[in-house]
Amino acid sequence: MNNYQEMNEIQLDLLKELGSIGGGNAATALSSILGTKVNMALPKVEMLGFNEALALLGDPEEVIAAILVEMSGGVEGIMLFLLSKEFSDEILYRMLNKPPVDLFELDEIDISGLTEIGNIVISSYVTAMSSLSSVEMELSVPQFAVNMLGGIMSMPMAMMGQYSDQIMMITGEFQIDGKALHSDMLLLPDVRSLEVLMKKLGVN
Amino acid sequence: MEKKTTVGIADMKIIRQEGVLITYALGSCIGVSFYDPVLKLGALLHIMLPERGNDANLLKYADSGVKETLRKLHAFGAVKSRMICKIAGGAKMFEMKGPGGLGNIGERNAQSVKRALMAEGLRVSSEDTGANYARTMLLDVGNGKVSIRSAGKPEKFL
Repeated sequence: MNNYQEMNEIQLDLLKELGSIGGGNAATALSSILGTKVNMALPKVEMLGFNEALALLGDPEEVIAAILVEMSGGVEGIMLFLLSKEFSDEILYRMLNKPPVDLFELDEIDISGLTEIGNIVISSYVTAMSSLSSVEMELSVPQFAVNMLGGIMSMPMAMMGQYSDQIMMITGEFQIDGKALHSDMLLLPDVRSLEVLMKKLGVN
Repeated sequence: MEKKTTVGIADMKIIRQEGVLITYALGSCIGVSFYDPVLKLGALLHIMLPERGNDANLLKYADSGVKETLRKLHAFGAVKSRMICKIAGGAKMFEMKGPGGLGNIGERNAQSVKRALMAEGLRVSSEDTGANYARTMLLDVGNGKVSIRSAGKPEKFL
């Protein structure tokens, strides 16, 4: 497989299923940290051009917080957890009882709290995927950034864009206590890794 | 209100006489503005990666993107010796290893753009590159002014 477009319906369904199981696991982890009900909406598998992908995620100039983890081993790619200000506020309020704060004004405790949340959520997602497919996946140390959405997405898109004019995103949104606060959990698999994953899952 | 023309990722637009070219939230990508003040002719290019392999998408890469933009500008009558080039972007939002050693992609993009311009006998007259934040770049073809917008920072002119 050299291109995301070459994927068939069965393969796409399988990715959706992986996203759904990963996302479900991530929601459970987030729920136990926050001590409240957390759901994840049904994930979507999107194959889009760079500009369409960005438009789907929101306003490129919107300032957001992001936690990024690189995947290596059997599957290469990037996991990215994007948090809107509202989502970050909700988490900081529930974890640390903090009032709403501008994302540029986050202090060290806020940042390490959010990074840890991101790390746990991403790890749970990947662990579920890994055990379902029995493909080993290693994760890098999580990194945190606050900046414009377009800028945040530029490095992951450049990496995925090396081999394709499209990127594949498996997206999912969390709901905390029934509230839909904007956040995105993105799985960006390297196109060459998809083959490994599909083979392990018995789909060709 | 000035008419704004948006330049996407791996994209380039040319306008003349009046109007503003804008490209949003450059992270590791680079925005390159080209301006011929005599013709009031301007182009804005948004590249994503340093060097082109055998990909058909010329505007995605620094080397082929610069070349393609100059070819089009030339067709509009632009003269290289009058051309003013400015660049912005090339930030490092995350420390990444990445497949293919792309971790310092922003820096490599900036170097590749400069090399490509130099190969055409052009130099960068001013730049705002590096660091760890995104930049929105605007070129006003009415007066050739290039401005940079970043979140949480005052607007800056190049």
